[in-house]
Amino acid sequence: MIYHALLFAAAVVFAMWAVMARRLLTSAIMLALVSVTVSLIFFNLGAPWAGVFELSVCAGLITVLFVGAVSLIRHEDEKHPESRARFYALPLALAAFAIAAWFYLPEFFDALAGWRRMASGGGTIGLALWDLRRPDLLGQVLMLAAGVFVIKSVFPRRTEK
Amino acid sequence: MDKGLLAYLLIPLLSAVVIPFAARNRPKLADLLANVTLLAGLVNLLWLALRPSVIAGGFADIPGDGFSLLLVSAVYLVGLCVTFFSAWFLDEKLPNRQAYYSLILVSVAAMTGVVTTTDFFTLYVFIEVLAVTSFALITTDDSGAGLEGALKYFFLTFPASALIIAGISVLMLSLGSLSFDALRVFMASDIPSGPVTFGAALIMLGFIIKAGVVPFHTWTPDAYQGAYAPVSAHLAGIVTKISGVYAIIKLATLLRFFDGRAQALSGILMFLGMLSIAVGALAALKQTDFKRMLAFSSISQVGYIVLAAGLGTPLAVMGAIFHLFNHATFKTVLFLNSASLEKSAGTTDMEKLGGMEHSMPWTSWTSVVALLSTAGVPPLSGFWSKLLIILALWEAGLKTYAVLALLFSIVTLAYFMMMQKKVFFGRKSQAAESSPEVSAPLLAPAVLMSAVIVALGLLFPYFYTYVKMVAERIIL
Amino acid sequence: MNLILIPIVLPVVTALALLLISERTKYLKELLASGAALVSLLAAANVFLQPPDMLSWRWFGTAAVFTLRADQLSAFLLLAVSLFSAAIALYSFSLPKKGPSKWFFFNLLMTQAFAAGAALADNLIAMLFFWEGLLIFLYTFIALSQDTREAKRTAMKAFLINGATDVCLLVGITITGYIAGTMSMSEISHNKLTLDYGWSVFAYVLLLIGAVAKAGAFPFHTWIPDAATDSSAPFMAYVPAAIDKLLGIYFLARASVYLFQLNNAMSLVLMTLGAVTILVAVMMAFVQKDYKRLLSYHAVSQTGYMILGIGTLNPIGIAGGLFHMINHATYKSCLFMTSGSVERQAGTTDLTKLGGLWRAMPVTVLCFVIAAAAISGIAPLNGFFSKELVYKGSLETGYTVFFLAAELGSFLTLASFLKLGHSVFFGRRPEELRDVKEAPFSMLLPMLALAAVCVAFGFGASLPINLFISPALAGLNIPHPYLAGFHPDKLYFLSVIVILAAVVNHMLGLAYGGGKADKASDHIHYAPVLKEAYALAEKRAFDIYEQGMDRAVPLFSRTLYRADRFFDWVIDTAPSSTAGFFSRVSRGFHNGSYPLYLALTLLGAVVYILLVGGLK
Repeated sequence: MIYHALLFAAAVVFAMWAVMARRLLTSAIMLALVSVTVSLIFFNLGAPWAGVFELSVCAGLITVLFVGAVSLIRHEDEKHPESRARFYALPLALAAFAIAAWFYLPEFFDALAGWRRMASGGGTIGLALWDLRRPDLLGQVLMLAAGVFVIKSVFPRRTEK
Repeated sequence: MDKGLLAYLLIPLLSAVVIPFAARNRPKLADLLANVTLLAGLVNLLWLALRPSVIAGGFADIPGDGFSLLLVSAVYLVGLCVTFFSAWFLDEKLPNRQAYYSLILVSVAAMTGVVTTTDFFTLYVFIEVLAVTSFALITTDDSGAGLEGALKYFFLTFPASALIIAGISVLMLSLGSLSFDALRVFMASDIPSGPVTFGAALIMLGFIIKAGVVPFHTWTPDAYQGAYAPVSAHLAGIVTKISGVYAIIKLATLLRFFDGRAQALSGILMFLGMLSIAVGALAALKQTDFKRMLAFSSISQVGYIVLAAGLGTPLAVMGAIFHLFNHATFKTVLFLNSASLEKSAGTTDMEKLGGMEHSMPWTSWTSVVALLSTAGVPPLSGFWSKLLIILALWEAGLKTYAVLALLFSIVTLAYFMMMQKKVFFGRKSQAAESSPEVSAPLLAPAVLMSAVIVALGLLFPYFYTYVKMVAERIIL
Repeated sequence: MNLILIPIVLPVVTALALLLISERTKYLKELLASGAALVSLLAAANVFLQPPDMLSWRWFGTAAVFTLRADQLSAFLLLAVSLFSAAIALYSFSLPKKGPSKWFFFNLLMTQAFAAGAALADNLIAMLFFWEGLLIFLYTFIALSQDTREAKRTAMKAFLINGATDVCLLVGITITGYIAGTMSMSEISHNKLTLDYGWSVFAYVLLLIGAVAKAGAFPFHTWIPDAATDSSAPFMAYVPAAIDKLLGIYFLARASVYLFQLNNAMSLVLMTLGAVTILVAVMMAFVQKDYKRLLSYHAVSQTGYMILGIGTLNPIGIAGGLFHMINHATYKSCLFMTSGSVERQAGTTDLTKLGGLWRAMPVTVLCFVIAAAAISGIAPLNGFFSKELVYKGSLETGYTVFFLAAELGSFLTLASFLKLGHSVFFGRRPEELRDVKEAPFSMLLPMLALAAVCVAFGFGASLPINLFISPALAGLNIPHPYLAGFHPDKLYFLSVIVILAAVVNHMLGLAYGGGKADKASDHIHYAPVLKEAYALAEKRAFDIYEQGMDRAVPLFSRTLYRADRFFDWVIDTAPSSTAGFFSRVSRGFHNGSYPLYLALTLLGAVVYILLVGGLK
């Protein structure tokens, strides 16, 4: 239960960070972390397939695309940084929401936890990834490599200008 | 995933990772590593497929369905040509030489993954990797046109990715599994197939967009024209063919198991193929830029493959596979030649060029070989593949399509002859005076590919045995 | 080697050998050609006397059989062809105006070889081969006989007229062979084709056109008078006067009697064709003012008698036709030879400039008188007997009108020869012709020989009829009565009346023309109605070739030109402008606008999904 709560909290924090970050690159990375935590929650809730896809698509692919796109417009981005002042209210709103939730939502979470299919799910993360979707893993590795090279290829030119 | 060909995915990946470290201080080492990797792979593949004992045995010892092997060879062949060409073409001042080669190697690895996978989702992942790498490669020289092309490529193919993943979800919901075999098994049963057909249609649409079939072709001219010169050869020659056209053929062969339940889909596929042939050829007629004309020609040739894939008879699939391979050869030659022109004369605008054959005879004559093969003039390889496609259409009773395909083959010849006349033949223009023939290493890939074109045309009986074996393994 | 091959192969070989000999050599070519012609004549005589076995080659199994066979008719024809070749070769020995002598003899021998082949061929395909070969040498013969534009033009005219009719023959032969199931004439004759159904009528009419056009009948005769002025006398004596008549009438007889079983209607058609040819041509001949041209019209006119004779379809008529064929060749060749002599010695053939040559050229005059009398049907020369047979044959059919037309033709023939002979050889001799001498011996010899044949065939008409014509009829499988002999019956007296009438007419004409012999035809030439008709004829209004060339051909070629432009447009302009239009549109569309592209992509996706869903 604690593990659960921690994951939820981490997801919320990463999400908030993504919204409030001054640099787009940070936003993109935080978004990826949100995806990772969400996929961990999926696994924990016994939905390994959903977890694998969340990891593959959102954490891997989308992030790389975002990073690539961001790198192209970083120049402009740094010249005219966006004002984030109005988002400072967000933590306050979230805190208010959390307090309200503390009173009203436990039953809902209990119900959610009750839906978890114990033990009979898709097994562990490792099993799901390694035995069922091994080629995807290869794809992920390629994706990461591609991401790295994209950044390596695009960034130096941008910074030179 | 075909285990036998896994090494062809892993080794370029490894090489791609090693290059940035090994060549940190010596950029030329990156050229060497990339070329050696691809050359070794290609030699290995040729050994696998063209050992005398294999040929004598009618290619029965080929691992997998043979289609994968053929396409991996095509990937490596084009990749090698591009890297070899790039080694002499790249600007010395280019800051990220190592990353460039790494990206090409990653895209080679991803393409190998695409053609060896047996699962929809894995296919999707590799195709996205391919999209990302090509996106970065297009902008290599950081020109405005390159950026525009890259963005158009990215944003117009993004809906395709969305459609593919949506289609995959639908398939997952109905099948419970994503392997190609699951689809086959499902289709053999009597369960109502509405959702599966729909899912397949969505995936197909995604790949149609990625292949640049009319009316979803709009990104291709800008991307090919704007891309860094050797990259456009890579992109047009093999990347978009693998990421779109290959998947269409694969799906189309699976559609056969729908047993008439996806006839509308096949019909649309054929119609779009014919439309591509027509629109691509007609649009190419009036282009003034060499690379843009090649882009439209590429659309037209993709149309032939899609048309044949939509028909789906063994002969048609054979023609489609062969034409895919041929397209890789001749389009690479033409794009590499356009890159040579760009390097030597500084432009690819056909109005400014003229009489280039006097100063660049090799470039001119390899172009002639490639364009004749594109137009389907015997005895070059393009003739045989087009012949197979048209024969298959005729045999299936689709005489209108057959006649139109033949007619547009003539249009193809027309615009390419026009190109050849404007660019290479005729009186020496000012551009021709001041532009010498490019160096031998830059010519080598084009000459090699031209040799492949001629050899495939002349040795067609051997190749026919091979392609027939492939078509049989896929369809039966 | 079969003897039958010599008349074909020897002339060809000699002709080819001639081409190797320099033009400057004297007499070598002439000797060689005459020798070949004489040897061929001997071979032909041998073939005639002792018919050899037939010779047959197969090609593609039985698809095309090439058979040479000398039945009595063919052998007779071969003999005639060889005889005239030898006579002309000899005659041309020292005739200067015949074009380059190398080419003249080349053409002569080639024509001889192909004519011999056509005569001997039993197979229709083989016959067609030789027949078409003649066409080529007809062209070169005329074109090379004079170095003028007119010669080329006339050669083309002859070539086109004969080419067109040969195409008819080709089609006719194809259909005939198809209907009969065989190309062998002797096989067809065992089971003759009848004119009961459309295809066979069509086939026969085509064969008829081919045959009579070769013979030079109306309306395919128009190149002959032109050739008379635009080519040489020996050519006229050889081809239109002899070879063409022989082959044309030979094949007409073959087709009409041997291959087909004609009916009454077709017989009427043939006789009408013959009668019209006689009258039209003789009317034209009558008013001519040129020696050779006048003769050439007669060459046409006499064809009419042969066609008329064969058209009667009774043995007497057919015998008359065939006999007339050989007779005509004899005297017309002889007449053309006299014209050649006159031309050589006096330098002109214009009647108005000639006159009184009888003293200077007595032998020529003698030959002319005999031949002219023969052609006019004066007893007892050969022309009389053959015409008598034709008359008898036409009377026997019951249609007297044809008989009358033939008699009228005889009348005009005689009248025109009176005019011709009078104006050339008699009357006053112009100053310029004071030094004219007799022609050389080499020219006189063949003339004399032919004149002698005329006399011999006349006085001894039973000889040729029994020797040649009866076997020929037997070759055609026609049972016939005894034909020969002089019959002083009604017909003979009628012919005497015709002779007297012609003489009276000549007197009248002389009186009318002021005593000038060349104007002796003017009273008919300028008679009220005829005057206009002649004027039109002078303008070639009745010449289908000229009319065709002037009117139909330009129209046709304009139409073709338009059609060609149209096809050019269809092939050239229409596709490229359509393609250009589409590619301009598409180029305009690909303007690089991202929103437009995205909109198109999404729209396409929507339509695609709707269609896949089964929306129709």
